[in-house]
Amino acid sequence: MTSANPQANPNDETPVEATGRCPIVLLLAFSLAWLLVSGTLAFIAGVQAHTPAFMAGCPILTYGHTRALQDTAFTYGWIANCGLALVTWILGRLGGHPLRAANWMGVGALFWNIAVAAGMVGIATGSATALTSLQIPGHIQPLMLAAYASIAVAGVLAWCGRSRPSLYAAQWYGVALLFLFPWIFSVAQVMLVWAPVHGVLQAIVEGWYAQSLWTLWMAPIALAGAYYVVPRVTGRVIPGYDLALLGFWSLIFIGGWTGGRHLIGGPVPAWIPTIAIVASVLLLPHYIIVLLNLGGAFTRNPADREGGRSLAFISFGLAAYVLGGAVDSVTGIRSVAAAIQFTWFDEAQRQLAVYGGVTMMLFGTLYYALPRLAGRAWASASLARGHLILSCIGIVLLVVGTAGAGIVQGSDLSTAGVSFAAIATDVHPWLSVGSVAHATLLLGNILLAINFAMTVGCGRLRAAAEALSS
Amino acid sequence: MKNGPLFLLGILAALLFSWAGIVLGSNAQLGALPAYYDANDSLSYPRRQPGIAAEGQIVYRELLCSSCHTQQVRRPDFGSDVARGWGERQSVARDYIYQAAVQLGASRNGPDLTNLAGRKPSAPDAADLMNLLYAGQGGMPAYRFLFETRRIVGQESAAALRLTGSLRPRPGCQVVPTRRAQELVAYLLSLNTTYDYPESKPAPAQNPEQK
Repeated sequence: MTSANPQANPNDETPVEATGRCPIVLLLAFSLAWLLVSGTLAFIAGVQAHTPAFMAGCPILTYGHTRALQDTAFTYGWIANCGLALVTWILGRLGGHPLRAANWMGVGALFWNIAVAAGMVGIATGSATALTSLQIPGHIQPLMLAAYASIAVAGVLAWCGRSRPSLYAAQWYGVALLFLFPWIFSVAQVMLVWAPVHGVLQAIVEGWYAQSLWTLWMAPIALAGAYYVVPRVTGRVIPGYDLALLGFWSLIFIGGWTGGRHLIGGPVPAWIPTIAIVASVLLLPHYIIVLLNLGGAFTRNPADREGGRSLAFISFGLAAYVLGGAVDSVTGIRSVAAAIQFTWFDEAQRQLAVYGGVTMMLFGTLYYALPRLAGRAWASASLARGHLILSCIGIVLLVVGTAGAGIVQGSDLSTAGVSFAAIATDVHPWLSVGSVAHATLLLGNILLAINFAMTVGCGRLRAAAEALSS
Repeated sequence: MKNGPLFLLGILAALLFSWAGIVLGSNAQLGALPAYYDANDSLSYPRRQPGIAAEGQIVYRELLCSSCHTQQVRRPDFGSDVARGWGERQSVARDYIYQAAVQLGASRNGPDLTNLAGRKPSAPDAADLMNLLYAGQGGMPAYRFLFETRRIVGQESAAALRLTGSLRPRPGCQVVPTRRAQELVAYLLSLNTTYDYPESKPAPAQNPEQK
C-alpha cells in the first residue's frame, strides 16, 4: 500500500546491511515472538490480579509464575533481542564499515534465545530465584552471559573500527550498554546466586541490580535509538548537543544509586533509601537534557509519513520516559512512599517506564530501521497506524488503571480496619481496566508482528522469484 | 569525546562507584552481623529454622509467594503495619541473618507474613493455613494442586482437612495435604519475630529530638 511512497523505499543501503542483515533480522524476529509471549502472559496475569481463580488450578501458571514469566519474556526476550539488534545496527552504521563478526552475532542470538526459553521452563516448573528482574534459574545464567558476549562482539568491533574518531550520542549509549549489562549481570549472579551475601544484603544487591538494569541498560537502549533516529528524520542537528554529554554521564554515574527507593522503611540501614532519594532528584537534569535534545521529535513533517510514524512512537516514549523520571523522584519522598509503597502504584511506574518509555522508543527505532534492513518499505501502513493507536491507548489505560488501583489500595492499606477481601473488591474495577489494556496492547503487537512478517517474508519471496527468473 | 579507552574507563568507574557505595558499603556495615545472645534466656536470637521449615522456604520461593506477600514490618509511624497486628516492632536486619534466600517482597496484595506465627492475640494454626491454601480467600487463589483427594482406606488420615459446605469431598474420600503443603505450612508457622533486640525497640515518638 505504501510501496509507491518514495520516502518509504530508502535507497540508503550501507555496507552494514550487506553483512549484518541476517543476524539483525533474526534477533528482531525473536524479539517480536517474545513480545507476543509476554503480552499473552501479561493478559493472564492481569486477569488473575482481579479474578484469582483464573487458571489457579494450573501449577505452572500460578499468579507468581505468570508474573515472573511475563517479566522474563519481556526483559530478556523482547527488550534484549530488539535492543541488541537495533543498537548493533546503529553502531555499525555510525562505524561506517561492513559489520564484522556477524556470524558470532547469529550464533549468540540462537543461544541467547535457547537460554531464555530454558529459563522460562525453569520458572514455570519451580526453579525460579524469586529475585526481582532475575527470576531465571541460576544454572542458566552463565549461558546467557556467554551468548550476550557473542552477540555484542559485532557492535564492539564496529565501534572500535569506526572511521570517524569522534563519538555521537547514540554511540555513547550504545557502547555503554553493551559493556554494562555483562558487568551488572555477573555481579548479581555471583552475589545472589552462586555465593549469596548475608541476610538483608541480598535485598540491597537485588535492588541495585534491578535499578541498574533499568538505568544502565534499558534506558540507554531506548536513548541510543532515539538519539540516532530523531536528528535523521527531522533533518536538524540536536539542539543543546553540548549538554547531551552531561545527560549521559549523569545517568551512568547516578543511575545505579537510585535502587534503594523500594527499601524505604525496610530492615536496611537508613542511609540506603536516603541516598536513593537524593540520587533520584539528582537524576532530574538528565531527563530535562534528554527532553531538550530530542524535543524535535514532537514536531513532524507531514510529507514524510514513514518518518513521522517513527517520531510519533519516539515522542510518546520520550514523554513517558521524562514523566517516569519525575514520578520516580516524587514518590521517593517519605510521606508519599508511606502511602503507596507495596501497592499497584509501583507496577504502574514500572509499566510507564519500560512500556511507555523504552518499548515505545524501541518501536519508533524499529519502524525507522526495518525498511533499511529489509530493503523495502513496511508492507502495510494501516497495520502500522493501527499498532500506533492501539499502543497509545493501551499504555494510557494500563498506567491509569494500575496507578488508580495503587492509590485505592494504598489508602485502604493505611487504614488498619480494612480487610484484604475488601481491598480486593475496591481495586477490582481499576485492575479490570488494566487487563483490558493488556488485551489492547497484545492486539497492537499482533498487528506489528504480521506487518513485520509480511515485510521481511515478502522481501524474501520476491528475491527468490527474481533469482529464479534471471 | 574521542578517546575510546578513556570512555570505557569512565563507564567502568561509574559502575564501580555505585557498586562500591551501595553493595560494599552495606556489606561493611552488616556483612558480619552476629546473632544476639540473651544471657537471661541462655539462648541466642534469631532461632534457626527447623529442617522442615527450611524445606518450606524453598516451596515458598518456588511458588513465588513473594509476588503478593512481603516479609518486612515497618515502624509504627510508617503505614499501618503495626496497627494491623503484623508485628509489635519493626523488622531489623538481624531477623534475616539465618535465611538462605531473603524474600522481603515488594507487593502487598496479601498481608505481611514476617511474624505470622507470633501474631497477637491469635496466630493462625496449621489447620487454618491448610484450609486457606486449599480454599483460597478474597484476593488469594486456591492452591488445590498442593493437596490430594484420596479414598479413605481404613481410618481417615490424621492430616486430612476438615472441610465444610461445598468444599467437603465426596463421601468415602478425604483431602490430604501433600509433602509440599506440609513443608510450606511448617515454614509459615516458623515465621516468628517476637523477640525484641536492643536495636528493634522503637525510639519514643513523643520526643522528636531523639534520633
